[in-house]
Amino acid sequence: MTSDARIAVVGSGLAGFTAYQTLRRGGFEPGEITVFGTEADPAAGWRRRAAAIRQREMRSESDGHCLPTSFPGLAIRSAARRRSAAPLLASAFDRYHPTVDEFLGHVEALRERSGWDKSLDDRRIERVRAVDGGFELDGCGVFAHVLVAPGHPGLNIPTELRDDPRAVHSYEPHEYASTVTVIGAGIAAATEWLNALAAGSEVVSIRRREPLRRPLNVPREYFSRRGLAAYHRLGLEERVARLRALLAPSYPLGSTWDKPLARAAAEDRFRVEPSLNGSAQVICATGFVRGFEKDALLARLVGDHGLETAGGWIVLAPDGSVPSLTDDTRTLALAGAPAPMAFPAADTLAGARYVAHGFLRRIASCRTR
Amino acid sequence: MSYTLRGRIESRLGVLVPVIVAACVLALAEHRYWPVEAVGLMLGVGVALDLQLYHRFLPYQPGWVALPLGALELAALLGLMRVLGVTAPLWQAVALFGGGWLVAQALGHAGFPLLRLAYAEDGGELGRVGLVSAVVVGALLATTGATAYALEPPVVYLKSGVHKGPLVITHREVLVGRPGAIVRGGIVVEASGVTIRNVTVVGGEYGIAVQNVSRTVLDGVSVSGAELDGIHVTGAGVMIRNCTVDMHGNPIGKGIDISYNMGMGMSMVEGCTVFGGMEGIDTHSSMTDIVRDKVSGTREHGISVTEMSMGTVMDSEVTNALGIGIYCNDRSMCMLEHNTVVATRRDVASGNPTRNGVGILASFQSEADLRGNTLGSNPVPMNAVINSQLRATH
Repeated sequence: MTSDARIAVVGSGLAGFTAYQTLRRGGFEPGEITVFGTEADPAAGWRRRAAAIRQREMRSESDGHCLPTSFPGLAIRSAARRRSAAPLLASAFDRYHPTVDEFLGHVEALRERSGWDKSLDDRRIERVRAVDGGFELDGCGVFAHVLVAPGHPGLNIPTELRDDPRAVHSYEPHEYASTVTVIGAGIAAATEWLNALAAGSEVVSIRRREPLRRPLNVPREYFSRRGLAAYHRLGLEERVARLRALLAPSYPLGSTWDKPLARAAAEDRFRVEPSLNGSAQVICATGFVRGFEKDALLARLVGDHGLETAGGWIVLAPDGSVPSLTDDTRTLALAGAPAPMAFPAADTLAGARYVAHGFLRRIASCRTR
Repeated sequence: MSYTLRGRIESRLGVLVPVIVAACVLALAEHRYWPVEAVGLMLGVGVALDLQLYHRFLPYQPGWVALPLGALELAALLGLMRVLGVTAPLWQAVALFGGGWLVAQALGHAGFPLLRLAYAEDGGELGRVGLVSAVVVGALLATTGATAYALEPPVVYLKSGVHKGPLVITHREVLVGRPGAIVRGGIVVEASGVTIRNVTVVGGEYGIAVQNVSRTVLDGVSVSGAELDGIHVTGAGVMIRNCTVDMHGNPIGKGIDISYNMGMGMSMVEGCTVFGGMEGIDTHSSMTDIVRDKVSGTREHGISVTEMSMGTVMDSEVTNALGIGIYCNDRSMCMLEHNTVVATRRDVASGNPTRNGVGILASFQSEADLRGNTLGSNPVPMNAVINSQLRATH
């Protein structure tokens, strides 16, 4: 089967959604783009995870949104709606964090406006193979330009806890027992400490290292060409080492986090211990499994085409495209979680936008467009 | 935002395009080139700071930092303008910079990101738009600079020594006196756009006469021994700065007389010192601001604003005037602020009761608004007569 559409987005999550918005802004009609994914709601997965950890505000960027341009972001919309300059002021100080409800409302409105549902093809793509003139997508047709945004390959639960009935991942729906052990040191873990304390639980924290405290995992310089140019100049080994350092778990500074923990510690309701104890519940705030080999589609892609990898990541060009499968007639790019070799904060909305811009540039300069 | 060096400079050039267009329009409208000079300096200051400071020390720049950086650039701009002698009205220069800053914020946060999808990721780089901006800014600066240079009046230097007058100026020019240059017999200005700088005038019917012309600037002139007025301006717009007028021994002449120039815009007398004469500084049917001047030893009025004039007398000193210190007369409207009037003497010989040593007098349906004036050793500190008003303002 050959589709009329020449552009495909594999994955209907937020990275795919952001890429779709960028393509629409670039002048492509919904009929020219096919999005493959099994969930129509682009925020479905993210929504479940945010609900599980009771997240109320966005962290990843000061003004996180799925629009292709930085203006007008959510701060200006919020200011207009609330008739207050406070969101703009907060944004100028990098202190604006839209609420989860605001973000989800924004995604919903954008979905409706952009024609997302018209482009959606409710099929899961298991294999992407390079063929003459483009890429064959698992019997769904040949596309000249393909952006693969498969999302995270799964939740990371420590092996020794996989069969433990007390264990639950922080991103799975759960309530809080009277005694809770939280494994991890990132923002999900910190959020769970506060959630469990607020629910009246006694909390034990187990962490392999002391948590880092920083506003974002990745410093803001790495969100633009200046920092990225230095990052892309690194050799593969150095880049992998830099990535591991950048992606180390962290949570933001501030009394919002410190005060409740200090109070609970004083009441002996929060403590750090080296190993599991007899808690009634173990929450694994250990994020996602990492590595292309954990994702069937990416593993096949690497296997079929002998792609270069390093540290579990597929090596990408600075714009997110796969160098050996991209030329002036076709484009294969990765977005979201598997793209940190192009953009260290690839699994943020900024990362999705960055790769989407590169993808659009590639298409625009392609002679088969 | 994390700017690249190229991004900083391209964004700056992009922002300057509308600002320099506005400055060119302003310059052409006013026949004054300070707006273009100011924008040129803004660009110079900005690029220097980009190269030496911002790029090195600001790898990431949150939005709020634009405010202190803007203040820093404004201070540097004003300092440079002062050092380089770019004469511009302070508030207009600040307004031009402030307008440019607002345009920069609007373009940097909204305009450029909408114009160029990856503006933020590209560190402020504008691609072809950046190149075009550089060309436009460069071309406008060069064109306006060349135009200004071509239209600049010729500068005529008056060598040191005594030159026989009266010297009649019939073409637009800048007459600059070398140290020791003296014109004996007066100067008559008969062309618009004349500037006379650092010239000493001795004698003449009028020391300097300016009649029915516009945009005359008298800067640093010194006048003495005139038969009538020291500086006599009729139907002309003038800017008189830092002058000295010596009227000792002349009981009928006025130090500086500005008359009948209502249609010529605001004139100004600033930083002048006048000794003696019938009146020190005197305006008739004119709009003139009298600022930071010193007048002493006059025989009728120290400073007089009269015959339906409108004007401000500010930060000036009047001492030892006979009869009246500052006079607001004949349906005039006067703003008198922060002046010092001391040692006004009674004019007993005149027999006129309104001349009995009044510091400030409003007369014949005039209105004077007073603020912060210092009146000392005047027999009558202030008075209002014949349907006139003195109003204290705060």
